[in-house]
Amino acid sequence: MNKHSAAMASVSLIGLMLAAAPLQAKTLNIALNADIRSLDPGVNRDSNSDAVVLHMVEGLVAYGEDASVKPLLAEKVAVSKDELTYTFTLRDGVKFHNGKELTSVDVLWSWNRYMAEATKWRCRPDFAEGGASHVVAADAPDKKTVVFKLEQPNALFLATLARLDCGMTGILEKSSLNDDGSFKQPVGTGPFKYKEWKKGEFVDLEAFPEYSARAGEGRDGLTGSKRPLVETVHFPIIPDRSSAKAALLSGDVDVVPDVPYADIAEFKQNADLDVSLASNPGITAVLFQTRDPLLKDVRIRKAISMAIDTNALVDGITLGLGKANNSLVPATSKFHSAEQAKGYKFDPEAAKTLLQEAGYDGRPIKLIANTRYANTYDAAVMAQAMLQQAGINVEIEVLEWAAQLDRYQSGNYTAMTFPYSARFDPALTYDSVMGNKEKEPRKVWDDPEAQALLAENVRSSDPAKRQELFDKLHARFLASVPFLMLYNGLEASAFQKSVQNYQASIFSMPRAWEVSIAD
Amino acid sequence: MLRFVLSRIGMAVPTVILVSVLVFFLIRLIPGDPATLMLGDMADPASVAALRTSLGLDKDLLTQFVLWVSNVLRGDLGTSITTHESVTHLVLQRFQVSAGIVLVAVALSSLVAVPAGLVAALKQNSKLDLGLVTIAALLLSVPTFWLGLIILLVFGLKLGWLPVVGYVSIAEDPARGLLYVLMPIATLFLHEIGVLLRMARASALEVLRLDYITHARAKGLPESTVLWRHVFPNAFAPTWTLIGLVLGNMLGGIAVIETVFTIPGLGRLLVDAIFGRDYPVIQGCLLFIAVIYVLVNLIVDLCYPLFDPRVRMS
Repeated sequence: MNKHSAAMASVSLIGLMLAAAPLQAKTLNIALNADIRSLDPGVNRDSNSDAVVLHMVEGLVAYGEDASVKPLLAEKVAVSKDELTYTFTLRDGVKFHNGKELTSVDVLWSWNRYMAEATKWRCRPDFAEGGASHVVAADAPDKKTVVFKLEQPNALFLATLARLDCGMTGILEKSSLNDDGSFKQPVGTGPFKYKEWKKGEFVDLEAFPEYSARAGEGRDGLTGSKRPLVETVHFPIIPDRSSAKAALLSGDVDVVPDVPYADIAEFKQNADLDVSLASNPGITAVLFQTRDPLLKDVRIRKAISMAIDTNALVDGITLGLGKANNSLVPATSKFHSAEQAKGYKFDPEAAKTLLQEAGYDGRPIKLIANTRYANTYDAAVMAQAMLQQAGINVEIEVLEWAAQLDRYQSGNYTAMTFPYSARFDPALTYDSVMGNKEKEPRKVWDDPEAQALLAENVRSSDPAKRQELFDKLHARFLASVPFLMLYNGLEASAFQKSVQNYQASIFSMPRAWEVSIAD
Repeated sequence: MLRFVLSRIGMAVPTVILVSVLVFFLIRLIPGDPATLMLGDMADPASVAALRTSLGLDKDLLTQFVLWVSNVLRGDLGTSITTHESVTHLVLQRFQVSAGIVLVAVALSSLVAVPAGLVAALKQNSKLDLGLVTIAALLLSVPTFWLGLIILLVFGLKLGWLPVVGYVSIAEDPARGLLYVLMPIATLFLHEIGVLLRMARASALEVLRLDYITHARAKGLPESTVLWRHVFPNAFAPTWTLIGLVLGNMLGGIAVIETVFTIPGLGRLLVDAIFGRDYPVIQGCLLFIAVIYVLVNLIVDLCYPLFDPRVRMS
């Protein structure tokens, strides 16, 4: 047997073993910190809703563990030379929860439903006329093929389809709707199917025994092998962190997906518990209002960047678990080059000199923070202490999250610590912060030249070209300091040792597939 | 009596109207927009505007208020912005959960605190009195969330006697349901004992100093007769009022306890709605709470003649 045959045989064997894994008559209890909003993918949703729904529905493509977009329901995706036509070939043998086989007709039906205004799909504007990924036609030439035609090339078309907040553009079967067209419950192709949702109490899913896992693949983010290995997944709603901790310690829940960093050391010492950490592309930043009379001066903003030791700050906030990253490209991204590793230079003395040059007279800077996202509050407190060392007077104003979000949207602030949710392509992250403040006051980086670089990046599908553009954007970001990028999100999950193969992910959502419970 | 009832209901009407007006406008004065919150930091202005329109938030405040009031008068409290459920259904469903816990807790604490207060008053300055007063002060000064967490840690975690999280309706499964509500009931029970015991003791002390009690004792009545026939009816009235207030307050939501013990009650619904700026749910909850408060106090007032002979006489 030559090496190639041996490798093929091994892969086949692994595939067979994976396919033959038994379904345990057990329940996996995963705590949710708030109730879900609905079961309709990408419609009335938040991160918990996405987490539950994405166990039941799947899209043509999905994010892998490295945040790159890979096929899921599609066997392959072919892109035309002009980058305007995307041809998806569907996998064989994929079934919906009602036993019906997935065909291109279902994909087209789901797409048309999403694109209907009445559905209120949150990602419709991205694909509708005027959107960056405007789809001018969607066809199903045969049972296994779906073709999307774009108005103009867009490197983010697949990345947008796969977005979690878009519900992964999950393919649904028609029976997901009531006779009047309203949404009933998801009948998808995912590894788990809907069982019960008792509002304010729990959501229960049950294994879909006929789930068609991608053959010969391991778990890979939201794609790869996604076999259900437990009979039921029970998501109890536990809003209080102390109660969630008590439930974990008592064994009433198996997994708490987001535990405070302060509890990690205790959990690690507990013989019954295990901990998993994952860095996600979400960003925590200190935003500046660049139209503020004081902060419009780039020298003041630069002085602030020099006065804050972001390494020490992140070390303090995450208790040594996280690492500072001054780039909008996450450290886990394939685009995080040596250029991206360059950051702010901590130099309080130089900061003082720069402040003198700028004529800073000690006027207080109001720094808004909230306590719902405790890390951003901690960041504000530490930044305040460091800035005061350099002679910058900072006053912290603590607001409730909704009030802060209001100020963010209207641009009515001087400075604020702010958590951005994760975008899995760096261009999407840049897009969330860049733009014209006249049109969108929430945008923090208003720089037409940088905007042009981003537009070019989005049009290009050549990784080398994209890298070059990301590097140029980063250099410009460091030079103009429109805001301070501190670090990427860090998800800390704790679980019972009896739970096998559970891992925190870059998606900040629990994953119950490929997870079993030891006897 | 009917006149009394009608006059009390008549007095309640302006209160409820005032509450509805205040709630409607005050909640909108708080910074924060439901559409922005629902769409999060990824929201573009066009999507926010579209969502605001679909939620009816783009209409002027007066129009929104008139629409809401006309619906309320038809018995419809509206639809939740976040879950798209009927607010009337949500409020009634969650109220049942809270009410069950609160009624049992208040009834139990009244049954324990009132006699204990009377005994403490009777034995004023004794070791028993000092012990009861100390316990009452201690229970009163401990925050309920902390007390709840301690109970959770001891009986749920350390001893493992009771489930730490979850909720099962007693109507569905009485045995299991009871296990889930024992700790929240115990927390409220202990806290309210502190409040009611002090009031019962203070009222009893006041009555014990009155001449007719001295007279009763001088007549040679046994101490138990003095206590139950002469002290209790006259001393219970203020405590009964307090029970009414406590009940009214707690029926309006025991948000902290519900959060600690993951009970899907009215308080948690209201708190979640405030954080999510779910205006129809906030308005519905607060209006319902106001009505409940008024009703409970009306019932308390109507029961007064049963306890206080002076009211009966008048």
